[in-house]
Amino acid sequence: MPSLDLPQAPVTGAVPRLEARDLRVVVQGREIVAGASLALRRGDVVTIHGASGGGKTTFLRALALLTEITSGAILLDGIDAGTIAPSTFRRRVAYVLQESPMFDGSVADNVATGPRLRGSSMSPAAIADALERVGLSDFGPRIARELSGGERQRVALARALANDPDVLLLDEPTSALDPASAGRVLAVVRALASSGLAVAVVTHIEAHAAELGGRRFAFRSGRLEPSID
Amino acid sequence: MSYVEVSVPRLAISLVFIAIAVFVSARLRLGLGSSLAVGAMRAAVQLVAIGYFLVFLFAHDQAWMVLALLLAMLVVAAITSARRLEHGPPARVLVVYALAAIGGGAAVALVPVFCFIVVPHPWFEPRYLVPISGMMLSSAMNVVAQVFERIFASARTERASIEQLLALGASSAQALQMQTRSALRAALIPTINGLVTVGLVALPGMMTGQILSGADPEQAVRYQIVIMYQLVAVAAVSGTLSALFARRMLFTAREQLREYGAK
Repeated sequence: MPSLDLPQAPVTGAVPRLEARDLRVVVQGREIVAGASLALRRGDVVTIHGASGGGKTTFLRALALLTEITSGAILLDGIDAGTIAPSTFRRRVAYVLQESPMFDGSVADNVATGPRLRGSSMSPAAIADALERVGLSDFGPRIARELSGGERQRVALARALANDPDVLLLDEPTSALDPASAGRVLAVVRALASSGLAVAVVTHIEAHAAELGGRRFAFRSGRLEPSID
Repeated sequence: MSYVEVSVPRLAISLVFIAIAVFVSARLRLGLGSSLAVGAMRAAVQLVAIGYFLVFLFAHDQAWMVLALLLAMLVVAAITSARRLEHGPPARVLVVYALAAIGGGAAVALVPVFCFIVVPHPWFEPRYLVPISGMMLSSAMNVVAQVFERIFASARTERASIEQLLALGASSAQALQMQTRSALRAALIPTINGLVTVGLVALPGMMTGQILSGADPEQAVRYQIVIMYQLVAVAAVSGTLSALFARRMLFTAREQLREYGAK
């Protein structure tokens, strides 16, 4: 399996972990993202809110290389994403889908998916550590598909963290959750950012954006605008 | 060689079987009456036409004519397997890949047989080349259509799982592995069932035909064994090629899952 080594660029405070420059995404003649730019640094929490169907998910998917961009650039530690193998990029820039699907098997199996894909196994201690970070310490043997929505969302976070990413992109992590579960997920996200991850969260719930703190943007007419409360 | 001749009036009696199916369709409101009528008509016209064409081919004994017929059969098989996909690429894209998958599988099954097992003299003798190639092309056509249909349908219904795997660092091959396996298994199982039940449940058409026309049953059986084994290779090779091609059509060069709309 290929290693995670990337072409090295100097990582300084001046170089964002992940940067989008003037991204445009046009799908079937319709411009969904119209020149959006964003820089995410270590420890950053950025929230992007906006109306459903406004294109914020498309923007986040483009940042995760899951949607083809029409023009613009994505840089990881200052290096053009186009020069990095997609699987290598995606291990460093984790993306958790809205209502992320659970795979067959136990919670521990799910958490170990990323390392397994590159041919390495994850020790029980490492799995326990990833689950502890999301507040699900004893959940390893449980059947993943039998969990509640909030528990699944936290397993999805632990599964993303198992790749030891630098950036975490979350698409509507709380939209399907009751207030108590949403609060737990938001607390986990804040803790992850304080541990040094760069985090971007897309949400249509303004209260959750406010609860996360950090820089806030509104996604309007295909662009990111700083949000003023 | 002697056999019971089927006169045209007696042949017409066999239309009763189509009438039974049309009756069932009408009674249960299946809406298949016109499809059955058109299908029965097409089958009769196509078989009569190929019958006359084979008589013509046997009389002229020209290699290019045989090869042209095989090519036409290949093209028709590719066009047939590349249509009726609800959530896949346009037929004009699909047909090119279908052509390669069917041609590849048929070539793997046919070339060794005509070179080493059933060696015709001359090499293009249509009595051997046309029916045996036809069986392989027809089987490959069904396998390719099935694999395309299943993979494109499951890529749509299981899109979230595939994309979550990609997001976790999977290659496109890893992300589509489950769907590929399940499509290939489904495509190979009928062929394996055919191997297991042949002689117990079904006496295959070619062997039956040879025996009816007075051929030595032992030779007919040997031919049939070769055909059955060839069909296994066709299913494996055409199935694998079509799965590889489906993956190629489903992902961009940057391993992004494409979205194909409903037709």
